[in-house]
Amino acid sequence: MIGIVVVSHSRALATAAVELAAEMAPPEARPTIKIAAGLDETTAFGTDAMAIADAIAEADSPDGVLVLVDLGSAVLSSEMALEWVDPGVSQRTVICPAPFVEGLIAATVTASTGADLTTVAAEAKAGLAAKLEHLESDGSVGPAPAQSQPGEDGPAVTFETVIDNPHGLHARPAAALVAGLRGFDANIQLTNLTRHKGPAPATSLAGVTTLGLGRGDTLSARITGPDRQAARERLQELAATNFGEDAGDSEPVLAEAADEPIAPTQTGRQIVVGPIIHLATTIDLSEYQPGDPLTERTRLDQAIAQVTERLQTRADASGPQGGIFAAQAIMLEDPDLLADLRAGVAGGASAVAAVSGDLAAVAAELSALDDPYLRERAQDVRSLARQITAELVGARIDLSGVEGILVVDELDPLTAASLDPTRCLGVVTCTGGATGHGVIVAGARGLPVVTGQAEAADVPDHTVVGLDPVGQVLWINPTMAQLAEIDRLSVERRNEATLAAELCHQPAVTRSGRRVLVEANIASLTDAKTAQANGADGSGLVRTEVLFADWDHAPSAAEQADVYRAIGQALEGRMITIRTWDPGGDKALAFLSQAAEPNPMLGERGIRAMRRLPDLLREQLKAVVLASRRTPVRVMFPMIVDPEEIRWASQILRQARAESGGQVTVGMMVETPAAAVRAADFADLVDFISIGSNDLAQYTMAADRGNGAVGHLAQADQPAVWDLIDLAAQAFSGRPVAVCGDIASRPELTARLVEAGVTELSVRPPLIGLVKLAVRTRA
Amino acid sequence: MGLDLAGVAAWLADFADQVHTNVDLLTDLDRQIGDADHGSNMDRGMQKVAQLDQSDFASPAEMLKKAGMTLVSTVGGASGPLYGTFFLRLAGAWPALDDAAGLGAALRAGLDGIQSRGKAILGDKTMVDALVPAVEAYDKAASEGVASALRAAVEACAAGRDATIPLVARKGRASYLGERSAGHQDPGATSLTMLLEAANRTLV
Repeated sequence: MIGIVVVSHSRALATAAVELAAEMAPPEARPTIKIAAGLDETTAFGTDAMAIADAIAEADSPDGVLVLVDLGSAVLSSEMALEWVDPGVSQRTVICPAPFVEGLIAATVTASTGADLTTVAAEAKAGLAAKLEHLESDGSVGPAPAQSQPGEDGPAVTFETVIDNPHGLHARPAAALVAGLRGFDANIQLTNLTRHKGPAPATSLAGVTTLGLGRGDTLSARITGPDRQAARERLQELAATNFGEDAGDSEPVLAEAADEPIAPTQTGRQIVVGPIIHLATTIDLSEYQPGDPLTERTRLDQAIAQVTERLQTRADASGPQGGIFAAQAIMLEDPDLLADLRAGVAGGASAVAAVSGDLAAVAAELSALDDPYLRERAQDVRSLARQITAELVGARIDLSGVEGILVVDELDPLTAASLDPTRCLGVVTCTGGATGHGVIVAGARGLPVVTGQAEAADVPDHTVVGLDPVGQVLWINPTMAQLAEIDRLSVERRNEATLAAELCHQPAVTRSGRRVLVEANIASLTDAKTAQANGADGSGLVRTEVLFADWDHAPSAAEQADVYRAIGQALEGRMITIRTWDPGGDKALAFLSQAAEPNPMLGERGIRAMRRLPDLLREQLKAVVLASRRTPVRVMFPMIVDPEEIRWASQILRQARAESGGQVTVGMMVETPAAAVRAADFADLVDFISIGSNDLAQYTMAADRGNGAVGHLAQADQPAVWDLIDLAAQAFSGRPVAVCGDIASRPELTARLVEAGVTELSVRPPLIGLVKLAVRTRA
Repeated sequence: MGLDLAGVAAWLADFADQVHTNVDLLTDLDRQIGDADHGSNMDRGMQKVAQLDQSDFASPAEMLKKAGMTLVSTVGGASGPLYGTFFLRLAGAWPALDDAAGLGAALRAGLDGIQSRGKAILGDKTMVDALVPAVEAYDKAASEGVASALRAAVEACAAGRDATIPLVARKGRASYLGERSAGHQDPGATSLTMLLEAANRTLV
């Protein structure tokens, strides 16, 4: 991919222009963009040819560099810089006369499609076309740089489609169209039949943009040339997916699931009644006709490739939860597993038999392990077996169409993420526990879940059931009396939710007049939007290790700062609390390698991992400082047991602030008995504390919260845990004391927390209104 | 002094002083037709140049080169690459002592550098309008020695600077003003005249 250098007389202008352009392309596809603008720290106006030369060298790639310039010295200094860079580099560098802002945006988008330097430069130059078209409309569509005219080159095929993208064919879907149709030996001319614009060549982003295709407009294509049929089919496919906009919302910084923010009344606590439907965990194999070993091998490979691709797509399209899918895809690349499967079919087994046999064996091995985390992976393997088998027999499991109450053996994250919360009322699991990933994903999407209901397995489809996710009650075929009770409870719950929703944007003040901040725990941009819609007083916990879990490289300070800023802006500038990387235990970061530990919960978690990898923390604190210049931010460190750890981390933060300025207050998680008992030792070192009640409970009770056998002991609502919460809160009396564990999300415990001296409750976004209500009415 | 290291150092210091003394004049001229930064930009750059220590350099060419690079990185506006190029080219063609024709060739090289960098021609209302007549006048008088030639150059330069007043700008920020740029003296031509005046005081 080409690199881009932005040269401006004004640093502020260049920074803003790059920010604008960056929003047009997803981070993973974005070209390297370097800024050379302004002179030094104190002189924000001017250009420096040496700095430009450096920027060109940094942005250089074998595909070349495009330099966009604004006025005056920007041009002269850039030309001068070209005389200084390595001759090899200068040969593949183009200083582009494009309009600065439009050119930069066109260049960023076009470069992100993998286009070559000449094409990108032409697109950038044509960046003025849309404006010319609009303001000086003389009927002719602008630029079409370096494109052949609609020629009479043989027979033509045509295609028409109505644009259904919410904002029309704006730059991103237009870029998807251009990228998708590049490479065909065909001349594809597009016309906007509705507005009589065009034709414009499909290979020109600027040309396509000038067609002004809005929602509801008819796009017509006339395609000639040898590849016309293939190009037409590709165009049809692209149109069918709304030019890539189906896959996800067009968020600037993080790919996100297409989830709308959850409405304040859909809390995941609602009682629902409806017909049940079983997800076929066994797929009907009676129709499967095994072929010879070669055929079976081909089918097997194709099915695995299909499933891998689908998982990858899913991973790319879902922000924070994407890591789960990426991890499943990676499992399918395991050479040992593949070799076993292939050996199976080579030995005469059908592909279906090999998959069910081998994967069942792997799942069984995992299930037998001591480590509860690995035991949970058995679920992933069973999920994979289901997906491949379904692919082999041609059964598509379309979960988004599931209506009513779904019954599954266990709820895997893929299933939870695929259900449509507007159609599916809730989920019942037969064997799964309450803490699996799938249950968490479902809860975050506002779906009520009742777990561990073995009897549900034998209840026929369409049987009416009621479920109460709070009481974890399942009513099968409820009697009239039960229905009346369900109805009463349901109305009560709904009224409460409605009242909470009505008041959710009001401050939460106790009866005695104390203001309690009710904030959101945030792991994605969608969470931030849900939090805003639900009246959050900011965020008491941004789970950075989840935000970036699926990144294959450590995000740079700038990349992180973009995300933190977007979260802060989604919350309209309310304070957000960034917790530094908290890997280890049951959480992994793709870009951070950690050795397997016999006891990961007692191992290199949180700040301890940063002691080994200080550069990761340094870069993150830089990002925090950068973000703090744009939106209010505070930072907190996880897994603190010793004041020395805070001194060490604060020193790194001080360095970052010395470099970049910014205002950041410092806090720490209290999630170990050590930190809670000795909280006073930290009083001079941090401005606030945040109690992580889940970990505090598991470390206090010596009970692994992921282990079903002892999980009930790891509940935070235990006298010993309350004592520790009281101790920590007393030590920080008069200062912010937050709770960000699950205990904060339980309205029935709100009063007790406020009584302990807690001043901030950071909760699951859909529950903000209810917790605020609990502050007002119970505390 | 003359065309040796001490002469060049004195020239640069003198020019820096002139710019510093006239920073408001240059900025005011630029305010009328540009972005009001020529004075402060040139002063920032030349103050850096004035801090160069002649004992760090083995030859006048080396010092001129360093001056050029310093201007490129510290002036900020278009004058940075333009003056920077001028000094870099000058450095590449700097003559031996008392070589009047050689200094003429060096000034010509500087002019060529400015013109190829800025693409301005005579009459565009830029520093070129002062430098072209200056170099021509220098060449005509070169046979009379460096002192006479520089004196002739300064006179022609000032005349060229004054002649920019009625012109309509066709280059740089002033060109956005079109006809409204007429009636104002070009700041670049003004600072360039100061540069040659300084040469006339120090290189002879």
